[in-house]
Amino acid sequence: MLAFQQYQIAFTAHIRDPKHNSKPARVKDSRMAIYREIVFNNILSSVSACFPVCINVLGKRKWQQLCRAFFAQHQANSPLFREIPAAFLSFLNTQDFTQLKLPAFLTELAHYEWAELAVSNIPEHNCTLSTDADLLNERPILTNAHLLLVYNYPVHTISKRIQPTTQTKTYILMFRSSAFRIRFIALNAMTFELLKLIKNNTITGKQALLQIAEMIQHPQPDAIMQFGEAILKDLMVQEAILGSSGL
Amino acid sequence: MSLVTDIKGVGLGLKRELIPQIQQRYQDPSIANIEFVEIAPENWINAEGKAAADLSWFVERYPIVCHGLCLSLGGPDPLNVKFLKQVKAFLKQHQIPLYTEHLSYCTDIQHGEAGYLYDLLPIPFTEEAVHYVAKRIRQTQDILEQRIAVENASFYVAAPISEMDEISFIKAVLAEADCDLHLDINNIYVNSINFNFDASAFLKQIPGERIVYSHIAGHLQVQPDLLVDTHGEPIIDPVWKLLEQAYMQFGTFPTLLERDTNIPPLPDILPELNKIKQIQSSFHHQKSVATC
Repeated sequence: MLAFQQYQIAFTAHIRDPKHNSKPARVKDSRMAIYREIVFNNILSSVSACFPVCINVLGKRKWQQLCRAFFAQHQANSPLFREIPAAFLSFLNTQDFTQLKLPAFLTELAHYEWAELAVSNIPEHNCTLSTDADLLNERPILTNAHLLLVYNYPVHTISKRIQPTTQTKTYILMFRSSAFRIRFIALNAMTFELLKLIKNNTITGKQALLQIAEMIQHPQPDAIMQFGEAILKDLMVQEAILGSSGL
Repeated sequence: MSLVTDIKGVGLGLKRELIPQIQQRYQDPSIANIEFVEIAPENWINAEGKAAADLSWFVERYPIVCHGLCLSLGGPDPLNVKFLKQVKAFLKQHQIPLYTEHLSYCTDIQHGEAGYLYDLLPIPFTEEAVHYVAKRIRQTQDILEQRIAVENASFYVAAPISEMDEISFIKAVLAEADCDLHLDINNIYVNSINFNFDASAFLKQIPGERIVYSHIAGHLQVQPDLLVDTHGEPIIDPVWKLLEQAYMQFGTFPTLLERDTNIPPLPDILPELNKIKQIQSSFHHQKSVATC
């Protein structure tokens, strides 16, 4: 390593973790303080923008400690700013939650908050839709800009006041509307299975619902068909389903 | 298709907050002095959804410059070739004619791998660093198959291992890399206060023939001898004077206002854009009077 690079490494090591790494020799501390502050604050605001509920739940002090540890220990190796929250998520997964006294739902809550960012950046596919949607006899087209999410905690209900301590299987559809709004719908297990079946846009609504009826061994498949059609129509009103395709 | 020659007059750094305001006022005479816009490729590469729609809107209406933040020309890790190839494809896809970067670094090596700090850190001004940075600029230009311009950066810590002053470092890198200069007027002023040198004398030594365009911005005065380059305040008079001196010395060049923090509504930014235009016009006028 070249001499100036040794200096650079000492410089950044100190910025990342001033408690454990002393500043380079003969550098003015009052000036070094500027970098300690602005570089960390920049990272902090890039991460924080994605996780408002996590911050609210943990409180600012604990949140900052977590971000400080992220900056000191974890490498973010993408030059794209959009990918910083994902690096933070992968850091969270390496942490000892019991030791840090973090709520057990935190990783899932953080993932749920990150999903909103992720969905905002999923490309939409071009496909030809029928002019009159027939969600049963044609293939329902779920927007490509979606994520089907499963959690052990009801992440969408968590706030400073509501912090679940027991697990509840939670299914969520997160998607982007035509006006680029990010929306979520909490699903029951059956609707979740239905969306899993139609998400690749390969089967008709009827085929999917018959599979569901078989899966749950429902005595009256017709009832499932009616109920299912209403769900698909509602998802279309909400813009999660774009329409249907007969091609 | 935009060409480097389409980058002219007055520009504005495109912040998310400003996008809807520019869209609402498009073709309104009040914003006629926004002649080009600048984006950070790190914010827009692989953008989909709303961001992609916004980008297309601007690509169709304004000449665009890419001003990078994370290439880390002075960084200790290997140059990020994968990222550079993304930049190259991005420039091509949106027909963006110019890519500039900072004479600084924003990466280190942690656990044997590159880590990003996402901020502009000062390269020590040593002979070795000149060769190292110049080589990486050449490598960048080779990969992109086009010239880049590098910007003189602002900084707060003087490296005790430096062997030369900032202007000598800049000149040596530009000459050895044979690249262009993205002149930041405010950074000259900020550094002149932070390190107690004569900004005007510094400017006189700039190789003017390499300037492609310039930045102008406000900064935050923290102490009498310490300015922080926040791009969050109005431009102060001594910085305007430096811009005038630069135009006087080198002729006018395109100039872009950076407003990155503490962003006011667009109408409050317009007077600064108009002032850049007015100064440029006064020099054009003087020039034509002189040739009559």
